[in-house]
Amino acid sequence: MPTHEFALPEFCSKPVLILAIGNVFFGDDGFGCALAEFLETHFDVPGSVCLLDAGTGVRKLLFTLCLSPVRPRRLLIMDAVDFGREPGEWFEIDPSEIPVVKLDDFSMHQLPTSNMLRELQQQTGVEVRVLACQTGPLPTEIRPGLSEPVRRAVREAAAWVAREYFDAAAVAAR
Amino acid sequence: MGKTIVIQPVTRIEGHAKVTIHLDDTGNVNQARVNVIELRGFERFCVGRPVEDMPRITPRICGVCPWSHHLAAAKACDAVFGVEPPPAGAKLRELCNSIAYMEEHILHFYFLAGADFLLGPDADYSVRNVIGVLQAAPEVARRVVRVRHMCAKMLEILAGKAIHPQAAVPGGFSKPLAKEERDQLRHMADEALELARFSIAFAKENVFPKYLDVVKSLGVITSGFIGTVRENGALNLYDGKLRLMASDGSYDDFPYDRYTEYIGEHIESWSYLKFPYAKKRGGFSLEDNAPGLYRANTLARINVCDFIDTPLAQAELEEFRQKFGRPAQLTLLYHWARLIELLYNAENAIRLLHDPDVTSLETRVKVTPRAARGVGCTEAPRGTLIHDYTTDAEGMITNMNLIVGTTHNNAPINLSVTQAAKSLIHDGKYDQGVLNRVEMAIRAYDPCLSCATHRLDGKMSVKLDIFDATGGLLDSFAN
Repeated sequence: MPTHEFALPEFCSKPVLILAIGNVFFGDDGFGCALAEFLETHFDVPGSVCLLDAGTGVRKLLFTLCLSPVRPRRLLIMDAVDFGREPGEWFEIDPSEIPVVKLDDFSMHQLPTSNMLRELQQQTGVEVRVLACQTGPLPTEIRPGLSEPVRRAVREAAAWVAREYFDAAAVAAR
Repeated sequence: MGKTIVIQPVTRIEGHAKVTIHLDDTGNVNQARVNVIELRGFERFCVGRPVEDMPRITPRICGVCPWSHHLAAAKACDAVFGVEPPPAGAKLRELCNSIAYMEEHILHFYFLAGADFLLGPDADYSVRNVIGVLQAAPEVARRVVRVRHMCAKMLEILAGKAIHPQAAVPGGFSKPLAKEERDQLRHMADEALELARFSIAFAKENVFPKYLDVVKSLGVITSGFIGTVRENGALNLYDGKLRLMASDGSYDDFPYDRYTEYIGEHIESWSYLKFPYAKKRGGFSLEDNAPGLYRANTLARINVCDFIDTPLAQAELEEFRQKFGRPAQLTLLYHWARLIELLYNAENAIRLLHDPDVTSLETRVKVTPRAARGVGCTEAPRGTLIHDYTTDAEGMITNMNLIVGTTHNNAPINLSVTQAAKSLIHDGKYDQGVLNRVEMAIRAYDPCLSCATHRLDGKMSVKLDIFDATGGLLDSFAN
């Protein structure tokens, strides 16, 4: 039996997993990544929380989560969306509430991500929540940087994440 | 009146596709199409940017094959700047390629195709998913999770990060490999080889014999093939020359930068995905065994190579060819070929980690901007990946063309779906298992559609057209 220490990745073994998703090259699509960076630099991330910027590579992590014998109790996805709301408006989405017709539109860098979130929630007992932020128009060329409304949303959303996940983790650890 | 059946989205592939099947008045399949509806536009995005940005930007095209785009971009930059990386730089790149391949092929066999083979194509849709695989084979799933995570850690050791790599740079590789790191990686590569050997043995004993009738019948078409080989004809997934083989086994070999002489690109109004074809062998045609038709990806690479220069994979190749000949045409053999490649990549990683060059401190050479065209090519897990850049004297991109792996398989995927649909749907009768088998024909190609499409506005269009048997549009929906 191999003895090196790669039995389980932290994103499987820690009780709370927060995944940031986005493409930082395309304006507001980088909301999730910017929020992760803000949380890391402005808050103390508890040891029981795994905060990961998955960029455009979240599906590989979700595949591993689905198959892992050990999973977090709570999973938060942070991503930008286009739901036709006001730019900078941030809100929570429950995967089970996404209408079937919207599973395809709700693009977190392509299926089967949305399906896997539902499967995780419904078949494994992991609490899955999605924090989404409405983007402004996305650039048609490479242009890093958030619009002003979405930049404001990062600060507000970070406070919510800290209350819901960092404080809760601290309580759970006592 | 004829009827149109739509499968949308196609599950367990990367990217968005809609399958449209047109039935005639008797309820039999008249035509089937795989409509790609995912949009990108990276070729236009990159014009005007410094060429050395490409190895950093292109891995974010979709996040599925980041290493393939990263390395093809670095090679295109080498060509633009007119340099060759030193041996350590080239070998570190190739080592990362082999490790990334292992992670991808494991993901595909166990996660994407796994539900079909471990649970059966007729299993209820509610269990035919990744969680279902875990419940059906928990010990296998644990081992797979471990090795995939280990591959990610190997890439972190080599390149600093596994997601969105940056270590391959124009002229070589940015980070030398320390001997202590090399020793650590050797143990990990050994474990990856164990899983590779287990995987192909498991599949040959428990999967392929059980589904041999499906393998021999589902989505079967006749085509040529494209892949990369060394000068001596050996399989290589990082570097070499391109070999474009016809269905009779004859072939043309050519260097990457002459690909436009051999590969044409056709466009159809109903798909955002281009249709490459072998232009020296005939014009474009969406007909089975058309002279210009060819396939890429695992089965293609196994077919075009003369041999594999690692012993275990070579033994598997010999067994495969004894059973199925060369070139093998059965579409579901992509899965078998994928496992041969998994084995090759594990052996190749071990070979490179025992190569004294790999710990040399000379990993890169200097580069100077110039006006030039450069073509970089690697074999992405999903097929031959071509990055073609043109720069001005300042090194800014003035033109860019990408042919990504899945694009080569666009016409073959459509033909396989048509064949599968025709063989499985009769008199208007079908059920979920039959529809999933049609999807299986697509999944065998392991398509990734998200970077294969090219449009500028970035919107995703979803459209369902219903046609009657005479081709008249009955109804149209869009969101």
